[in-house]
This record gives sequence, C-alpha cells and structure tokens, in this order.
Amino acid sequence: MTARVSFITANQAPVSARHLFAGGDPGPLVSSWAQVPEMLDVTLPFVGMIMGASSVSVRHKELVILRTSALMQCRFCINAHTEVAVDVGLNELEIRALRGELAVGDVFAMPSEIALLRWIDAVATGRGAVADDIATAFAGHFQDHEVVEVTMLIGATLMLNRYASALQLPNSAESIDRLQQAGYETALTNQGAIA
Amino acid sequence: MNAVLDAMENGTISRRVWFYANYHCNLECSYCLTESSPRAPRRQLDHSLMKSLTRQAADLGFTEVGVTGGETFLDLALPATLAEMSESVPVIVLTNGTLFAGDRLERLAPMLGRQISMQISLDSANPDLNDMARGPENFAKVVESIPRLINAGHRVRIASTGQAPDEESQEALCTLHRSLGISDDDHVVRPIVRRGRGATFDGSVPAGPDELFPELTITADGAFWSPFAPTVSNDHVDTDLLVSRTVEPLSVPAQRLVALAQGRPVGSDVANNIR
Ligand code: SF4
Repeated sequence: MTARVSFITANQAPVSARHLFAGGDPGPLVSSWAQVPEMLDVTLPFVGMIMGASSVSVRHKELVILRTSALMQCRFCINAHTEVAVDVGLNELEIRALRGELAVGDVFAMPSEIALLRWIDAVATGRGAVADDIATAFAGHFQDHEVVEVTMLIGATLMLNRYASALQLPNSAESIDRLQQAGYETALTNQGAIA
Repeated sequence: MNAVLDAMENGTISRRVWFYANYHCNLECSYCLTESSPRAPRRQLDHSLMKSLTRQAADLGFTEVGVTGGETFLDLALPATLAEMSESVPVIVLTNGTLFAGDRLERLAPMLGRQISMQISLDSANPDLNDMARGPENFAKVVESIPRLINAGHRVRIASTGQAPDEESQEALCTLHRSLGISDDDHVVRPIVRRGRGATFDGSVPAGPDELFPELTITADGAFWSPFAPTVSNDHVDTDLLVSRTVEPLSVPAQRLVALAQGRPVGSDVANNIR
C-alpha cells in the first residue's frame, strides 16, 4: 500500500521543523505534517499533550487509543499502539481484546475499565448524545477532569485514525517485524470483527 | 503586529516583501535557482492576491515590494498589476529583459510615471561568456533593450550574477553598464547561489538560514525565508526555507518569519553578499 502523500525528508525540513528530524526519521505523521510548518507547530504539542503523560494513567490512555483505533479500523494506529500497549505492560489477552480479536467483556473485569470501554465505544462510533446509563456509569468512576481528558483523547485518536487511514501512512519495517514476531496480525484482516 | 515593525526597525528582517509572480521563463539559464524554462510549471501567483498582499505589506510597515520569477513579463497583465501595487509602496520587478523588442515595449506603458524600477540581468561585458550561461543572443537582446527602456522613461537597474569577476572583467562590465545609461548605484553584483541549478556550480555560495537575510517571500506554494529560498530541485519546490503555507493575511507569515529570524546573528549574510 502506497502512502497518498509525500513525506518531507530531513534535508527538506522547514527551518521551524528541523529539530524534529535531527535524530533521524520522525515518522510519517511528523514527516507529512511538516508539509505545513505552521500546522505542525501547534499540532505536535497538542498531540504530545493529549497522548503523553497526564493525570489519566498510561494504561487507561492505551485502552482509549487502541480501542478507538480498532473501532476505526486504522491499521497504522492499531500497529503503532499495539507496540505501545506491550511496552506499557498490557497483557496479550487485553491487547487482543482491544484490537477486536477477543470480546472485551471476556477479558476486562474491573468495573471502572468496563465503564471506560463502554464510554469509548459510544463516543467513537455513536452519533449525537451518549446514552445516560453509559455516561452515568463512566462518571461514577472518573472525575470531571478525567472525563474531559479521556473524551478529548478519543476525539484526537479519531482524528489521527482518519488521517492515517485516508493517507495510507506506513508503519516502519522494524515495527511490523516486531509485531509479527510477537504473533500479531499487521495487515488488518479483521475488518468489522470488533468484539 | 508591532513585533513585525520592531523587527524591521532593528534590522532582523528586511523592509521588502517579495512575490514570485510565476516560475516559467523563455530562457533556461545554467545557474537558475528555480529550474525555470519554457516547460517549467507556471506556479503563477494570483494578481489580485499580489495586490491585496501589497496593501497589507504597506499597512504592516514594509516599505518596498519586489516581484520576481521566472520571467515576470511573460504575463501580459503584469504591467497593470505592478502599476496598482506601486500605489502602496515602490516596486522593483526582476526581468531578463528579452521581451521588450519592437512594439512590445508599449505594453509597459501602465508602469510609466510610477514608483517602479526594473532590474535586468546582464552577467558579463563579454557576449560569449554572458550567453554561455544565459543562452544564445541574450547579450545582444539585453544591450538593445536597456537604452530603449530608459528612453521610454523606465527606471532600470542591472544585476550581474556570477563568480566575483577579476578587475579587468569588472571594469569592462562597469564601462558597459555606464554606456547603457546605468549608474554605478544601479548595478548590483551577486554570487551564484548553491540552490536549484546553481547547486552544482563551483564557487557557488551556500544559502541557508545562516547566510540569507530574512526577506518575506510569497509564492503560489507558500511563504519563504528569502527570495533565494523557494528554489526548485528536480521539479520540486524546496521546502527547507518554507515559513508557512499560509500567505494571507500577510501578518501570519510575517510574524512567523520574525519568530524564526530572532536570535540570528545580525549581518551574518553580508559575508556572502547575497542580499
Ligand atoms: S535565471 Fe532568470 S532568466 Fe534565467 S532561466 Fe531563471 S528565471 Fe529565466
């Protein structure tokens, strides 16, 4: 699959983005955003803040990102965040459930995480308001500032999912290799099979 | 907006804004920064946008506008556009000077009596040397055009591009431009810049953010650091000196250029003489 946009290379990186290329290839998101340096300047800190360390735990953040990406069938993000999920300590069953290969209800048992997953599913795939019972259950386990962060994170992930899918961004060869060695499918063969 | 004015006043950025009117050209010079030729994509800048941005430039405190290309006068509507732009600030337009033979000079009439000057390229007093880089008969066409333009009432400057000439060649060039009616003040000598087709020239000078004086430059592809920045390599506009894709309002790229330029050592471009 060929990317539908060209990537800025280190020697063509705009002055304001040069530091991002200093350590090598910054990946297809940054290399494509660098086409529009004024957009890159604000998008990267935004995405960095939303995805990075914050008051919401790393584990919960990966639940949000991987689950949303699987619901959106975004191959690039599923692959990238399967790796992150492994790195932050989610176990294989949890990862496979979030990827849509197992039923989440068979794997996740903590009430707070079940409420979180139901909230993710409703926000990411729904239209209009979220049902009261789902919202009430979610609010029962998370404080307002966490509700704000999680919901923004779902939205940001949706944005990245559609961007990466529409433009057919590639994962790195090393990343694909690592996932395949760990037994994960990398080519999105389970379309529509989200449990 | 004060940051932009302050930056102009303290010399961080130039008071001139440049526009790349187009990228195609009737010539195909060997050192051309923009890989221009008759076959090059036009990348034309909309004239109403140039006029609007010129008014905005004046409001921001810029005091001069430059228009370059490609060969700017391939666009027959340019003289009227330049005339309108010059109502806001003085305009300098760069041209290869080969398109003004015969009654084509009359097309420039809208520019007369305005604060518009034309900068024409002429590299050497030796026709063969000049034409080696700029194409057959270029020398003859240019030395014929310049006095006609001056006689018609246009203000003309000459720009010579090349490696620093020896004393004898320099003197011959100056004798020539004076004989054409161009004063020493209206003759500029510039090095070949190591970008575009000039990238492979021995003796060309590097042109990155450390060497180029920040001069806001607007093209159909966005705003750039300097008129030496939106060059073309292998048919692609170089993005290493891209400031923003946003060009309007002009305050957006102007503010970004100031932010990028701040902290840059003052006068670091002068060593290479590529202002
Ligand atoms: S240097 Fe000027 S005249 Fe020569 S090809 Fe380039 S744009 Fe045309």
